[in-house]
Amino acid sequence: MIACLFVPLFPLAARLRSEPELKGEAVAIFEGNGNAARVVAATRTARRAGIAPGMTLPQARARMPGLVARGRDAECERAASEALLEVAESFSPRIEDAGEGVAYVDLEGHARLDVRRQTAGDSPQAVGGSGFTPVLHEAVRDLARDMIRAAEKAGLPARAGVAASKLAARVAAGLPESPTVVAEGAEASFLAPLPLEKLAPQLEIAATLDRWGLSTIGELAKLPEGEVASRLGEIGRALHMSARGLDPQPLEPWVPPPSFTEGMDLEWPLATLEPFLFLAHAALERLLARLESRALSCTRLEVTLKLDPDGHDARAIALPAPTRDAKTLLTLVRLELEARPPGAPVAGFVFAAHPDSPRRAQLSLFGPAALSPDRLATTIARLAALLGADRVGSPRSIDGHRPERYASTGYTPPPPPKLRSPARNGRGLLLVRVLRPPVALEVIVDSRESAADPRPVSIQSPPDAAPPISGSVRVASGPWSLEDGWWTEAPADRDYWDIELSDGGLYRVYRDRAGSAWFADGVYD
Amino acid sequence: MGAAIERLLEESGARLTRASELPSLADARNPLATKIAALDRLLSGGLPRGALTEISGRRSCGRFSIGIASLAAVTSAGESAALVDLGGHLDPQSAEDAGVELERLLWVRPSKLKEAVASAEMLLAAGFPLVVVDLGLPPVRGRSMPDAAWVRLTRAARDHRAALLLLAPYRVSGVAAEAVVSAQPARAVWRGAEKSPRLLEGMGVRLTLEKDGRARSGIGDGMSLSVTGVAPFALPSPPPPGGRGDFLVPSRKGGGKLRPFDESALITAPLRIRR
Repeated sequence: MIACLFVPLFPLAARLRSEPELKGEAVAIFEGNGNAARVVAATRTARRAGIAPGMTLPQARARMPGLVARGRDAECERAASEALLEVAESFSPRIEDAGEGVAYVDLEGHARLDVRRQTAGDSPQAVGGSGFTPVLHEAVRDLARDMIRAAEKAGLPARAGVAASKLAARVAAGLPESPTVVAEGAEASFLAPLPLEKLAPQLEIAATLDRWGLSTIGELAKLPEGEVASRLGEIGRALHMSARGLDPQPLEPWVPPPSFTEGMDLEWPLATLEPFLFLAHAALERLLARLESRALSCTRLEVTLKLDPDGHDARAIALPAPTRDAKTLLTLVRLELEARPPGAPVAGFVFAAHPDSPRRAQLSLFGPAALSPDRLATTIARLAALLGADRVGSPRSIDGHRPERYASTGYTPPPPPKLRSPARNGRGLLLVRVLRPPVALEVIVDSRESAADPRPVSIQSPPDAAPPISGSVRVASGPWSLEDGWWTEAPADRDYWDIELSDGGLYRVYRDRAGSAWFADGVYD
Repeated sequence: MGAAIERLLEESGARLTRASELPSLADARNPLATKIAALDRLLSGGLPRGALTEISGRRSCGRFSIGIASLAAVTSAGESAALVDLGGHLDPQSAEDAGVELERLLWVRPSKLKEAVASAEMLLAAGFPLVVVDLGLPPVRGRSMPDAAWVRLTRAARDHRAALLLLAPYRVSGVAAEAVVSAQPARAVWRGAEKSPRLLEGMGVRLTLEKDGRARSGIGDGMSLSVTGVAPFALPSPPPPGGRGDFLVPSRKGGGKLRPFDESALITAPLRIRR
């Protein structure tokens, strides 16, 4: 059994999904440029005022000066099409993208129908051996109604039709009474009274059929197949099969793209950031709603800007942790654009979100409370947006001898223990505040004891140093030599001293033996 | 009935406990022990949850070591903690030596005071039980924050029942802090004298409770910090006037024994060094 989800006036529906504030207005979608642009779809308000498909822009404006005119937007339509397919995929893993707001869903084996079929199969109302009873019919209608509701939730007004073949389902979905369910084996009788245009024949074929005096599908189906094929060729044979409710085309499964996209072409180019961010926020919210419906989070956001008059600007924002927080993503986009402006007005944009599973955690009843993975991911992303990704992480010790060495990695804390354990007693360790970068010092030394290892007597940092360090040395302990990375381009060859200044400050200073310059690289604190 | 329950409790020994005797979650303080004996004593058990505690003091007063020790206490108990390090002073190697489980520590390095406050607020909202904000060495980077910012931080800590420890070179949090402790270096202890080679052993720190929610301000305590973490000496910390002084004698296995301050020991006891 195949269900067809069909969005009437798809270019208009896609545009209204991206610009929901236009709902209720008289809007028409045009295709083409300048005065040659023609109406392809219009809202009910506009249609009531006489706006019809095929009209040129001046004609439409003459009929309705207040008409909101929008061009066809490929990005809007692509995003709407993806959203429709995602809705369809939430009902069945086997779906087909037929384009232009049409999606087929294979309902064979659907759990909700299977249960009803089993109960209905034993009932005396089962007819024709197909098991398609009123109970099952109602179950299918319920399912189709749910599909329509899900599509509306995604911002797309859809109709649904269910039948045994794609063609019959598509025709059923096109009927104004939605949802329409065609019983198994009743496709031919369902199609028979409908006009031939429902089969969408080619113009030449349609003209021939009209000359033959055929107006309904049933009249075509009554003709002998061989005679039709001998006069109209293979196309005529396929049309005749369709008229009999037979559809030889199998369902072509849709493979979801690796990323979710949302975007739109702008009515006029934007040269400032704030209006762009206003539109970007709405697009990101739609994007994240789609991710949320599939229990996914965004781990990488690609931003492609269409520039005016031509050219593109593409950039990628890697997130430290998967998130679904629109505010965070918007902040990241803002910071990215502020750091590297596109250099030309923006005429359109596309956001592509690469999905990843959100972090999960098993909470414990008796152990310490674990952090909420979702909240933590959002916090880390917001911190990265505020400070920069390299300034947020988990510290790591690394091999080496230089005291200033450090590493930082992504923060993924291990789960807390199942049972609360007592904290270890402190070691009373005196730690060093590492000064990064080290503070250059002017040092007066005493070389009387050892000319090779002069002892610092007084130190003074430059006036603009942070932090400023100065004073006479009360106690000096050293030197301890350190030689590291002598095989590299930046070797370290230092003599370290621990010193206590007259003000009580305890510092770790060193003399760079290569240049004989002195630095303070730590404060005991 | 009551007698029967009493008998049951008596016979079962420690296996049964009255619910009313269990530690109450409603206890607003439920302090977070830092495992620094002197500080825990001053703060009646540790850092108060849902409140801001400020430790201020000039350079080499031990406040950074206290902050790292607090992080070590929390992370070693299996909980997560965050360090907002305005100066970027953390040395992961020595933090690990101090007992910090680095995997459970989130290290945030803002470049301005405003960013540090904003980061701390986000971390509190994320549910970290302990957030340590170190403002680094003077001068503090960035303009000073208004009192309202610290009050807002305190509210964030209260809303999420988190302990917020602020380490500052001078008092910054105004009226917002629940407890304020000032740290002053007592003196540095060097091994060796006269012409023999010198070696830094550690330092004594004098802690004074400047402000406390329970109106117990003015009392002081002493603590010692050693470079190796295994100081075989009793590092004396002269108590403040009117206060009492204790100092920690760390053992080689970690931890240590708390000894009362003894003025005579300060003067007469020789330093016995074993390495």
